[in-house]
Amino acid sequence: MDELDPVIHASARLKITATLATLEVGDQIAFPRLQELLGMTAGNLSTHLRKLEDAGYVDVIKSHQGRTPATYLALSRPGRRAFEDYREALRDLLGESA
Amino acid sequence: MDDNRTPAAADLDEPIGDPRAMLALLESQQREVLNAQQAPVIWMYFIWGITWFVGFLALWSGDADGNPWFTIPAYVATPVFIVMLVASIVASAVLGIRINRGVRGASVFSGAVYGISWSACGTAFAVLGTGLISQGLSPELANLYFPAAYALMCGTIYLGGAALWRDVSQLVLGLVLLAVGAASAFAGSPGNDLVLAIGVGGAFLIAAAALTVRRRQGR
Repeated sequence: MDELDPVIHASARLKITATLATLEVGDQIAFPRLQELLGMTAGNLSTHLRKLEDAGYVDVIKSHQGRTPATYLALSRPGRRAFEDYREALRDLLGESA
Repeated sequence: MDDNRTPAAADLDEPIGDPRAMLALLESQQREVLNAQQAPVIWMYFIWGITWFVGFLALWSGDADGNPWFTIPAYVATPVFIVMLVASIVASAVLGIRINRGVRGASVFSGAVYGISWSACGTAFAVLGTGLISQGLSPELANLYFPAAYALMCGTIYLGGAALWRDVSQLVLGLVLLAVGAASAFAGSPGNDLVLAIGVGGAFLIAAAALTVRRRQGR
């Protein structure tokens, strides 16, 4: 039986990866919009994003819109795969796999 | 079991749920994101449904040969229609921008092309109609041409949207709009106004209602 990926297997980070996984491949989402979709505080979201970034699951892209710095986020390729594997592993555990 | 001792798992403040709870959390979060994207679409269907339904009923009632039950003076019916049309265009632009806000990357191009296609096609059909009038198209035939052209335009662009986002609601709506728009001319003027009010307005309102119901059931 697959072990559940400990990086994703925490409610806050599961919600973050699940949200990022709804983006089309090649798309990135602005930090404030992600925060709004998750209903998390900026500090809490930053903490969990750092853990996901450290694991190589999330790409953090810093850019500027005019003079204002903007942070964009996306699942990395390994991150998307890890999320899909995690979901599969959950379904396997629940006996829902095809 | 060694996995549990890795630093990444050491979130002691977070209770780790059982698989069923985690899968439910995953699915409900993704549904919420999709619902947030869909909310402006439902509003657009609703707004355009009201505009087509009320606007074209007003035009139909503003014509002496139209509504047999009551007549609205044309100087009221036409401005009502125009005000509703302009308000809907503005509302759509505002809502359209909100759908994918905060997102950049590969899908932005598709979204921009889709957005521009409304104004580009809208202008093209208006110019064609003006050209036909300059070549002697009668007011009665122009009354058949313009609303039908715009119903066909909406239908065609919705088919494009359906292909782009694999969206069945846009596919059904697009096909209904094409059928109603194409058939409306056979009713003659002003009967075509009634056909479009019920057919196009009704299709938009049913689409708005269907998406709202589906959204509530998904929760």
